[in-house]
Amino acid sequence: MATFTQHLRARGEDGLAALLAARPDLASPPPASVRSLAARVANRGSVERALATVDAGVLTVLEAVLALDGVAGAPDPSGVPLPRLAHATGGDLDTTARAVDQALGLALLWTEPDAPRTGGRSATPSSTLVHPAPGLEDALGPYPAGLGPRLVATLARRAPQALEGLTADVGAPEPDAAVTTVEALAAHLADPETAQRLLADAPPGARAVLDALAWGPPVGRSPAAGNDQGPGRAAVEWLLRHGLLAVGDPQHVVLPREVALALRAGRTHREPPLAPSPHGRSTPLATVDAESARAAEDAVRLVAATVAAWGAEPPPVLRAGGLGSRELRRLAARLDVTDAVAALVVEVAGSAGLVAEDGEDPPSFAPTTSADDWLRLELPERWEALVEAWLASERAPWLVGTRDERGGLRAALDPETRRPWAPRLRRTVLEVLAAAGTESLPAGLAAEEVHDVLRWRSPRSAPPLHAVEAVLTEAGLLGILGAGATSTAARALVVGHADGGTGHPGGGDGHAVAGAHPGGGDGGPGADPGPARTPAAALAGQLPPPVDEVLLQGDLTGIVPGRPSPALADVLERMAHVESRGAGLTVRFTEASIRSALDLGRTAEDLLAELSRHARTGVPQPLEYLVLDVARRHGRVRIGVASSYLRAEDPALLAGLVEDRSLRALGLVRLAPTVIAAQAPPVALLAALRERGLAPVTEDATGTVVVAAPDVHRVRAPRGQRRAQPGTAARQAPSAEEARDRRLRRVAKDLLRADQAENAVIARGGTQGPDGTGDGDGPDGGTGSGTPDPVLALALLREAAAEGREVWLEIVGPAGTTTRRRVRPLRVDEGRVRAVDAEREAELTVAVHRIAGVAPA
Amino acid sequence: MTDGPLIVQSDKTLLLEIDHEAAAACRRAIAPFAELERAPEHVHTYRLTPLGLWNARAAGHDAEQVVAVLLEYSRYPVPHSLLVDVAETMARYGRLQLLSHPVHGLVLHALDRAVLEEVLRSRRTAGLLGTRLDDDDVVVHPSERGHLKQVLLKLGWPVEDLAGYVDGEAHPIELDETGWSLRPYQRQAVESFWHGGSGVVVLPCGAGKTLVGAGAMAQSQTTTLILVTNTVSARQWRDELLRRTSLTEDEIGEYSGARKEIRPVTIATYQVLTTRRKGVYTHLELLDARDWGLILYDEVHLLPAPIFRMTADLQARRRLGLTATLVREDGREDEVFSLIGPKRFDAPWKDIEAQGYIAPADCVEVRLTLPDGDRLAYATAEPEDKYRLAASAAGKNRVVEQLVARHPDDQVLVIGQYLDQLELLADHLDAPLITGATTVRERERLFAAFRTGEVTRLVVSKVANFSVDLPEAAVAIQVSGSFGSRQEEAQRLGRIMRPKADGRTAHFYAVVSRDTVDQEFAAHRQRFLAEQGYAYRIIDAEDLVAG
Repeated sequence: MATFTQHLRARGEDGLAALLAARPDLASPPPASVRSLAARVANRGSVERALATVDAGVLTVLEAVLALDGVAGAPDPSGVPLPRLAHATGGDLDTTARAVDQALGLALLWTEPDAPRTGGRSATPSSTLVHPAPGLEDALGPYPAGLGPRLVATLARRAPQALEGLTADVGAPEPDAAVTTVEALAAHLADPETAQRLLADAPPGARAVLDALAWGPPVGRSPAAGNDQGPGRAAVEWLLRHGLLAVGDPQHVVLPREVALALRAGRTHREPPLAPSPHGRSTPLATVDAESARAAEDAVRLVAATVAAWGAEPPPVLRAGGLGSRELRRLAARLDVTDAVAALVVEVAGSAGLVAEDGEDPPSFAPTTSADDWLRLELPERWEALVEAWLASERAPWLVGTRDERGGLRAALDPETRRPWAPRLRRTVLEVLAAAGTESLPAGLAAEEVHDVLRWRSPRSAPPLHAVEAVLTEAGLLGILGAGATSTAARALVVGHADGGTGHPGGGDGHAVAGAHPGGGDGGPGADPGPARTPAAALAGQLPPPVDEVLLQGDLTGIVPGRPSPALADVLERMAHVESRGAGLTVRFTEASIRSALDLGRTAEDLLAELSRHARTGVPQPLEYLVLDVARRHGRVRIGVASSYLRAEDPALLAGLVEDRSLRALGLVRLAPTVIAAQAPPVALLAALRERGLAPVTEDATGTVVVAAPDVHRVRAPRGQRRAQPGTAARQAPSAEEARDRRLRRVAKDLLRADQAENAVIARGGTQGPDGTGDGDGPDGGTGSGTPDPVLALALLREAAAEGREVWLEIVGPAGTTTRRRVRPLRVDEGRVRAVDAEREAELTVAVHRIAGVAPA
Repeated sequence: MTDGPLIVQSDKTLLLEIDHEAAAACRRAIAPFAELERAPEHVHTYRLTPLGLWNARAAGHDAEQVVAVLLEYSRYPVPHSLLVDVAETMARYGRLQLLSHPVHGLVLHALDRAVLEEVLRSRRTAGLLGTRLDDDDVVVHPSERGHLKQVLLKLGWPVEDLAGYVDGEAHPIELDETGWSLRPYQRQAVESFWHGGSGVVVLPCGAGKTLVGAGAMAQSQTTTLILVTNTVSARQWRDELLRRTSLTEDEIGEYSGARKEIRPVTIATYQVLTTRRKGVYTHLELLDARDWGLILYDEVHLLPAPIFRMTADLQARRRLGLTATLVREDGREDEVFSLIGPKRFDAPWKDIEAQGYIAPADCVEVRLTLPDGDRLAYATAEPEDKYRLAASAAGKNRVVEQLVARHPDDQVLVIGQYLDQLELLADHLDAPLITGATTVRERERLFAAFRTGEVTRLVVSKVANFSVDLPEAAVAIQVSGSFGSRQEEAQRLGRIMRPKADGRTAHFYAVVSRDTVDQEFAAHRQRFLAEQGYAYRIIDAEDLVAG
């Protein structure tokens, strides 16, 4: 029989590269050899990560393989043929083959190297025997599919005499020379007919006991010994005596796996796992698109408003990082939204690299230079930049305002407020929604329905329901969804990501499941062959045509009967404040709003001209009067900048100073006959006037007013956060993917080359191949030739444990000295190795970090 | 996307472009369920509120109709959440019903058991409900009928009151339609009210609300209690009823500070009903003095809180509220809804003006620049004195004189807040003055003289805000008001809006001191009128002489 390592080697360059692509954690850093790759594949963390990416269908098959591998009575001592799997899981052969293929792709299962396999596209032939990969059992637990230990294991615990008795009791044939008593007994008991026959004579209750344990969990509490003489106890004792139950520990009995399988009629699962395909509530695309466009516009507006607000007045960064809740509330009040929406807005702005810490002391959040580029874009492009950033972001805005484990309030923009799985969750949620309904009649799904699908897709790493809810809410607020369903632009967004490669913006999170999901109605929108529209272009198509006119009314309101054109929006934004948004826009002109427009340097004539340009029905008299009236009063009080001033009781003293050409450098301005302001600092003024023969003295600072124009703060965007030009992400994605493929292929090639070299060295040294089919001669004394690579060492230990071989273990003692022992590893788990030292007849448990090296014995 | 006249905003406002050809049809279609918020010249703003939607349910409209109307007239796709919200809100009305049970009397009957459970568990209903008869019915203490309705509305499950009304003591009342007849909208208002049982009719000032009341009485044919704002108004009701109905003087009683008559038709003032002596309302017995078949509330938007509480006990009697606006400065519209009843009829001012039943009005704000001395005094005044200082600026007297001079042939009312200012003005104009201190007899004499044209200029304080019928007044000049009260402005405008014999335009002037709180309050007051479509022009006092 071949080993897992051989299987990996037999995958060849293409197969290894595909594996590295499917499980990216294996490739970084690049493993040194196929053996160390095998070790990494079997590493529990890596197996868990791979399991997190498989759907319930694949998981079912994995459980079945694990449960059926090596059971007694099967025609093959190890490995499971496909038809058996299909029968056990209740699925059809095709579905099962596809699931097996997928698991093979992830190296969660393996086949004999000579078994035909063509790397993914065609299903595995039904004659192939599939084996569970090492590490799978650790990850899936001791009772796969609720099945207990194998008969061989339970029987091996009985004393030899007891076995003989049992053989007689159950009428098993005498073992011949080729098999042991245990094996013969196990094979006999595993036969469904045996159980049937035995149970015919069983005491009452025995059947009930078995039925209770048959579908798991396989462990039951033993009836209390001694006082209970009831039928339950009798039944259990009878079952124990006939090998249909086994003693687990003094308090518990377990149902052996083969017996359970016989009771389950060979099934590991009651019913085939079916992918949920929720239908949701469909909404006309026009409504969905209109609503998503409206929300998109709103989201962009809120982000722009945040950039503007923070540009003028950057809020401080909390000492622990993030934005204080008071600042968040202030922003929310300013944007007229709830705190939660404000949190999303700043998080999206942060993810898009539009705002960042300015690095000053004390630090503040300020718009970045990229924000200026972003502000120059049109609405659809701005939106695309925001949603792309949101989609790729690990930030978890829904956590803002909740308490962390230590009871602290989670702040927006706090570096800790993130979830590494957020990007994957967002993408999958959008994919699930995109698959609901049709393109022309999209459907909205409840969070629970989406959650069901996600649970099917990755049962081992289903996201919490509240996160799904949060993602749906966020997608709605950002205008990706409209009325809870997928808009045209969102479809472009999802399709773009599906076509543009996996493009893991989140980093090392494994998300690459090749092939369609079996039986799922979520084949995705892959059928769309049309030219890929960018999300921005799609959104542009969703927006209603802009309206360039406003109806101004005598009650000082203005109404835009539609979506205002950018020019009109700009005029109204400046001169009025908004009362109601939606399909149309209602604004109100007030004294304050007109004043702030005047503050921006406009004159009343400018404002009225701008208004009448857009006003279909003219500017009503009250509004015109308001503008003129506010302008009349505007600027009657003046504020200026001066560095110093001169004042004198006697105007004659100051006469002539302003006009004096020699004092021009001082920048003197007469404010009143007795007051002159100067641009020069007091010291310079003092010196100049002394020189001129005046005898000035400086006053103390009270009363001097220095008015500084508000600065507009900008910082450089941090590396990696700079916003790419919209659309470039999608366009660059294929080439990025090619580059990754090239890299992985190079890693695979190096691997195989290193492997050959290693094997050559081993062959020259006369040691057996690493697959260790025979006894090695011991390692050369004391030089520590064993592998020091801990991952490889663990793999060696695991393989040795699985095959019952011995290894040389170099152990670092508490004093730092190294001892070498020849041991047979039993189990590698939870950072410890349990092994038997045959020579000293002792069992030992060694912490993994004390193992300095492992070599095949 | 249709080219409809309506834009539905996500914040539940509806924008109706009135120059659109389908605007009139759309207005008719949305009027039953949407509250008109603003009706300026180009785009009217309506709002969907729970009360409005429940009003519609009470009038027999259902959510499907509402949704269909929105979809039919909307120019852009209607926000999905809004449609869902409409359906959900409307579905809440009438899940609970108040029924009259042949054995147990008044019972609360649930069409939705879960709602009943929720309501029963609420602490607010404690003490209002009696024993539970079965899964769906609970006895209601008859005295708590109104209170319960209020509470259920607050809980968001407005109850449909099907328990009916006591017939009341019958009393023959006929409209005497010689030389006049009820206008179509008045007749419609009476029918809508009678069909609905109880409720509120909203008509603009000058549209003849008294006649709607008279019509309702003629329909009811029972003894009637009429609650009005003040004594003058009570007298006008009496005069109008004598003139328009078969009622004689002996059948109409006045229950006021001055007189305490209880007759088949009794007119009482809010003030006398809310008079307390040692914490006890001394005139409550009036409510039970007769077996009233109909209770009329004039100026519902001014109804004081104690009257609400008393009304809670009158739920078995038919109630009709009359008002020019449902806007209450105190925001208690929901109590009007639950205690008096849903809105049964309304017609916007401009519609009635267009039909020629009220005079068109020209509203002008005259801005007066204060002289420097006054400005300095104003700038340094204590905040609480600022309004008085600005409102009673001496310069206003000259402006009023100029305005009066512009209308030599019209009947002119000068209305103000501050007595010393009014006295000064009365002096200047050589016109009689009516204030709260003027006796009722003197007031009536002066009003009568004004009506006949004997007196053409009248200076009045806020006593003339309400229910003073001065049909020939064509010009009103407001020199000061109660701060920013919106409905006061509407009432004052209403004084001059009776249609004139020769179809003249009415003129309403507000004289305002520039750059002061006076101007701010004026802006606030005017908002209501501007929203009703009466836009103000603003002119400078300096231009007045020239103009």
